Amino acid sequence: MKKLTLLTLVFGLVGLVPLAHADRLADIKKAGVLRVAAFDANPPFGFVDAKSKKIVGLDVDYADALAKKLGVKLEIVPTNPANRIPLLSAGKVDLVFANFTITEERAKVVNFSIPYFASGTQFIAKKGTLTSPEQLSGLRIGVDKGTTNEIQLREQFPKATLVAYDDTPFAFTALRNGNVQAISQDGPKLIGLLANVPDRDKYEIPPFAISQDYIGVGAPKGETALTELVNTTLRELEADGRAQKIYDAWFGPTTKTPLKRIFKIGDKT
Amino acid sequence: MDFSFLQDDLTYLLWGTFPEGPPGGALLTLLLSAGSGLASALLGLAFGVLLVMLRGPALAALTTALGFLRAIPVLMLIFWTYFLLPILFGVDVPGVLSVMAALALVGGAYLGHGVAAGIRGVGAGQWQAGLALGFTRWGALRHLVLPQALRMMLPSFINQWVTLIKDSSLAYIVGVPELSFLATQVNARVMVHPAEIFLFIGAIYFVFCGGLDLLVYLLNRRPRRA
Repeated sequence: MKKLTLLTLVFGLVGLVPLAHADRLADIKKAGVLRVAAFDANPPFGFVDAKSKKIVGLDVDYADALAKKLGVKLEIVPTNPANRIPLLSAGKVDLVFANFTITEERAKVVNFSIPYFASGTQFIAKKGTLTSPEQLSGLRIGVDKGTTNEIQLREQFPKATLVAYDDTPFAFTALRNGNVQAISQDGPKLIGLLANVPDRDKYEIPPFAISQDYIGVGAPKGETALTELVNTTLRELEADGRAQKIYDAWFGPTTKTPLKRIFKIGDKT
Repeated sequence: MDFSFLQDDLTYLLWGTFPEGPPGGALLTLLLSAGSGLASALLGLAFGVLLVMLRGPALAALTTALGFLRAIPVLMLIFWTYFLLPILFGVDVPGVLSVMAALALVGGAYLGHGVAAGIRGVGAGQWQAGLALGFTRWGALRHLVLPQALRMMLPSFINQWVTLIKDSSLAYIVGVPELSFLATQVNARVMVHPAEIFLFIGAIYFVFCGGLDLLVYLLNRRPRRA
């Protein structure tokens, strides 16, 4: 602690802004900016658009709808899976819209909204190498650090060798190079990834999932007013059809990643 | 080798979305390195002088603090300043500043010992000559010892600056959009050419570090020729 105090002293000299610990919703309105953590490398949830070089995606569209409702500007902070909780806890962002799976463990340190997406842990492997979950125990599997996929695999398949990467594209590079035999992520995210790979014919997503997960918006722990507003907004988006529009923009039949919509906001609370 | 990604992404890698957005890519790497390089030089100079001039408990405290900074990974320091300070003390440090501060502190700690060694290397005779001429201890340091010591220490400074340029890539951990962070984004979109993308990035770092080396070499040669 003494050493940290020294650091604070040093940074104190640089002149820093103390964090407000009031109601976050009021802070957002006052600042006129909603700071949202989103993925920058996970199409179609959040990725850097090739033309505009801006972060776009399904998660960003939801965040944008919320910012519009609040009447504030949206500021996207790029994140990888492992930084999502630290960003919230440290007050660096107001909300996390980053394919954030709701779990009891995480709910101890962050507030979750009602789910706005559902998925399950699935795999990508070279064609023909993975057909059933039983095989997983004997494989080297690439996972993303700090994801539920990693935790589920460790619990359900303790004999599998897991190699943790910073983000899914890195894990996929490892699969491509033969460092691992399969990689694991939420099914829709894997579909989005494979859709952008030129030689996608060599790979497949075996048709089984080892979990059923719900994706929610992460808010700082204890920020009830903010969480409630997110919930209300999500229900409105479903009621007036905008949620379906956002879904269709990224997973609709004419997109690179057509996927039937099996979950509607409000199906599970 | 397929470098076609450069068509779309060259400017993004070089300066991000600047000037519409904040500086990014290689430009931000340069800014980060310049900022932390300058700060680390000033800190290193101050630490070094204090190491020579301080006595007793103050010296022990400084030596401990420098030892601590040299003993922890830069990555940890960046991570702590970005994520831990807001949680523990409620101070919010922006990403770029936290990286710059962490690099400056670590660089300054390394340089401090180099500067102290340089000052000690000047020789007792110079000090005595200064004191005999009526200089105070600080005066002798400022006018006689430091000018000679700094010339000897130049190689350590260059070493440290080159290290800083490369260490600025650690900023990726807190999402600061410098060169290697943007390279990761581009790689994530292109997917199939990681070797080419990271070779290109490596070449940029080589140009930066090699350029600095060359610049100092040229600057250093000129006065002798004249």
